[in-house]
Amino acid sequence: MTALLQVRGLTKKYLGLTAVNDVSYEVETGAIVGLIGPNGSGKSTSIDCISGFQPADGGQWLLDGNDLTGLAPHRIARAGLTRSFQTVRAYDELTLLENLLVAAQENDGIGWLPALLHTARVRAAEAAATARARDLLQTVGLADYADAPAAILSYGQRKLLAIAASMMSRPKLVVLDEPVAGVNPTMVRRIEAVIRKLNEEGVTLVIVEHNVDFIMNLCRRVVVLDQGIKIADGPPGLIRSDPRVLAAYLGKQGAEEATQRG
Amino acid sequence: MSARQLLLAVIAGLIALFAIPLLTDNDYVLALGISFAAMSVLAGGLNLIWGYTGLLSFAQVGFFGIGAYTAVLLVVDLGWSLWAGVAAGGVLCVVVGLLVGYSSLRLSRHAFAIVSLSFALLCAIIARDWPELTRGSMGIPGLPTPELKLPGLRWRIVDPADYYYLLMGFAAIAHGLIYLVVTSRLGRAMRAIKLNEPLAQSQGVNPLAYRLLALSLSALLSGIVGGFFVFYLTIIDPSIFDFYYTETMLISVVIGGPGSFWGVLLASAVMAVLPDLLRFTTDLRMVLYGVALIAAMILFPGGIGGWLYRRRVARWRRPQPRDPAKSTP
Amino acid sequence: MDWSFYGQLLLNGIVMGVIYALVAMGLSLIFGVLEIVNFAHGEFYMLASMLAYFLTAQWGFGYWGTIVVVTVVGVAVGYVLFEGLLLGLRGEAFERSILLTMGLSMVLQNGAVFLFTTTPRMIETPLSYRNLQLGELRLPVSRVYALGLGIAAFIALYLILHRTKLGKAMRGVAQNRVAAQMVGIDTRVVARLAVAIGIGLSGLAGAALAPIYAVHPLMGFAFVFKAFAIIIIGGLGNVSGAAIAAVMLGILESFSGGLLPLAMTDAVAFVAMIVVLLLKPQGLFGRGVRV
Repeated sequence: MTALLQVRGLTKKYLGLTAVNDVSYEVETGAIVGLIGPNGSGKSTSIDCISGFQPADGGQWLLDGNDLTGLAPHRIARAGLTRSFQTVRAYDELTLLENLLVAAQENDGIGWLPALLHTARVRAAEAAATARARDLLQTVGLADYADAPAAILSYGQRKLLAIAASMMSRPKLVVLDEPVAGVNPTMVRRIEAVIRKLNEEGVTLVIVEHNVDFIMNLCRRVVVLDQGIKIADGPPGLIRSDPRVLAAYLGKQGAEEATQRG
Repeated sequence: MSARQLLLAVIAGLIALFAIPLLTDNDYVLALGISFAAMSVLAGGLNLIWGYTGLLSFAQVGFFGIGAYTAVLLVVDLGWSLWAGVAAGGVLCVVVGLLVGYSSLRLSRHAFAIVSLSFALLCAIIARDWPELTRGSMGIPGLPTPELKLPGLRWRIVDPADYYYLLMGFAAIAHGLIYLVVTSRLGRAMRAIKLNEPLAQSQGVNPLAYRLLALSLSALLSGIVGGFFVFYLTIIDPSIFDFYYTETMLISVVIGGPGSFWGVLLASAVMAVLPDLLRFTTDLRMVLYGVALIAAMILFPGGIGGWLYRRRVARWRRPQPRDPAKSTP
Repeated sequence: MDWSFYGQLLLNGIVMGVIYALVAMGLSLIFGVLEIVNFAHGEFYMLASMLAYFLTAQWGFGYWGTIVVVTVVGVAVGYVLFEGLLLGLRGEAFERSILLTMGLSMVLQNGAVFLFTTTPRMIETPLSYRNLQLGELRLPVSRVYALGLGIAAFIALYLILHRTKLGKAMRGVAQNRVAAQMVGIDTRVVARLAVAIGIGLSGLAGAALAPIYAVHPLMGFAFVFKAFAIIIIGGLGNVSGAAIAAVMLGILESFSGGLLPLAMTDAVAFVAMIVVLLLKPQGLFGRGVRV
């Protein structure tokens, strides 16, 4: 069986520096794959490229056999690859419900004219999307705020909303960029539970994180980048003891991280 | 307010507006109404493109004037009917708007603002410097009385009351159309683009497509209203591109609140009536508009719409009985 | 038509281009450092011309005295403008910055109309009638001076940006604000200087042009329209690019003015801008070659 996401030889250069250097990996359907690495290892850059927000300088990536290389972000999203952002983004002035409805509306293939005229088909699609949005808000525990503007949410709640939004269009693959960075431990556990639940419902995820423990708990496979190069790819047990990974983290971030993990 | 109450209020408002010419033939009152109708369409168009999709456009007055010149030249020089001339003006505005929008949005919304202003200035300059087409700065005075022919009806638009019905009728249609767009899911996508463009893109929303849609629609409406309004003025000259129109619509949208349909409509009404009552000379009025713009940006950001939004946020932030156990501070 | 006609067009175009460059470089510098498009830029140029008119025609200042006073006043106005209005505005507040400067432009322009009426005023000095003869080409001395001032200002700006500590800091902020803050650059001082230089250059342009063209309150508006086209053609925020684009536009306009109908000459700047946006949206020189 071919993998859901295939990334081949992804390369991105900035002002002569190679931020991502010939990185290849695959993600199987139904998996949760972790993408980790020290600061500046190219994690975020690589997903910015894959989701179309930065042009890649080389490489190719396919989702479910469809070549997504070089497409605009909205085309990639419509092809079934959605993402969240490290700097949590939400439409502050829209209600939570509207936040989620926007995330679904470009995927039902309804044109502008029917949308303008509120045809029966549009009403049905909107009703279905509203039902799904309420479900997702229930899942992430924000159902009470469905009609509140997103501006009132706390930082952690915004991360939950972003996760729900990235699921709205029933994508094939969701990339979460640092879903628990800067979040308190209680909220980390809640986000972890939400991710597990969504995965059980059949969503495939790639998770980019600084929080190594979080990744090791959640993922059955982990890809490690260092200075733009893939240095390891395997189950968490092997990654923990991989000498190249240890060297990358110890070399970059000092011994205290090792003691934390130890 | 429920949807039903809103509908009743709108119908009552429309009946009241359309009854005015029956109750009075005071030209001053009708003139205020005509000016409100025309300016509110311009402000509504600006609100659609700026308030909903986040593109500050100075091109609106260009569309207004191009619509006016096209209608006049087609009617006067080529003998077209008013309908056809006005429609052609609207369509030309859409084409020009797409050119301005598509070229500049390849770079950024910063470039759009700059190019749109350059476009509006260029329109005024060309109207002055191309006398073979536009008759130059003297313009075309004494425009003919236009006629609207519908099956079984021939309406000569002569009196202020006729213009009042024509422009108020078109304004009602234009605002109805804008309302339909902004309350549909198209409007939701447009607001999403304004509020957070990368997030919208990551959810499959194509910002360029929606922005060009909003721009086309606002260009169409502004062009058509220009075509109708110019016959009421009875003269066309390069001052149809005057910055005065831009300032009036900018202030209407700033005070009403970008992205607030009713706020901008209300502010347009105030802007149509208030400055006229204050009776300043034009130069001084423009100075005061400038001061008002600066003051509004500093003291009253977001206008009426922004104020309502802040109240809504504050209401939700207040502790509520149904507040679930929060897991975050 | 012989070569001297074309030579004359070229010469006139270069002079005009250099004046455009003075205004456009300031606009581009301010955009590069503050990410603000100063819509009131043309009004400062107009006010500078007005001031130059009053200094020369009413208070008897000489040519060079006027240039110096107006430029210094421009720099001072830039300081005040920054501290009074622009402080605290940054990229995400782009629309706010436009509206603020637009409001300012309205106040200045219509205030000037209110005070001085729209009647054009000519400055008559002994300089007005002196010409420099180069073979068959003729160049009024006031234009030669304007050309020299423009080139001198460009060199001075280049030296400030490349040789002084503050100038280097300015380039740093323009390239990467966050990094510049991290290495301890005071962005407020840098931004204030950028605005002061930008308005100062506008002042210089206004003073240098005052003896060449009629002075009136609406002159800034038409001029800033060209400057906008120039900064887009040269690449937003690219000061050298703006200077080169300005001279190119000046020459282009001069030739089309000599050969084409008036309305088409007006449209040259706009059409050039649209063509550049369609073919090379980042501008002819991108954001790469900044001053």
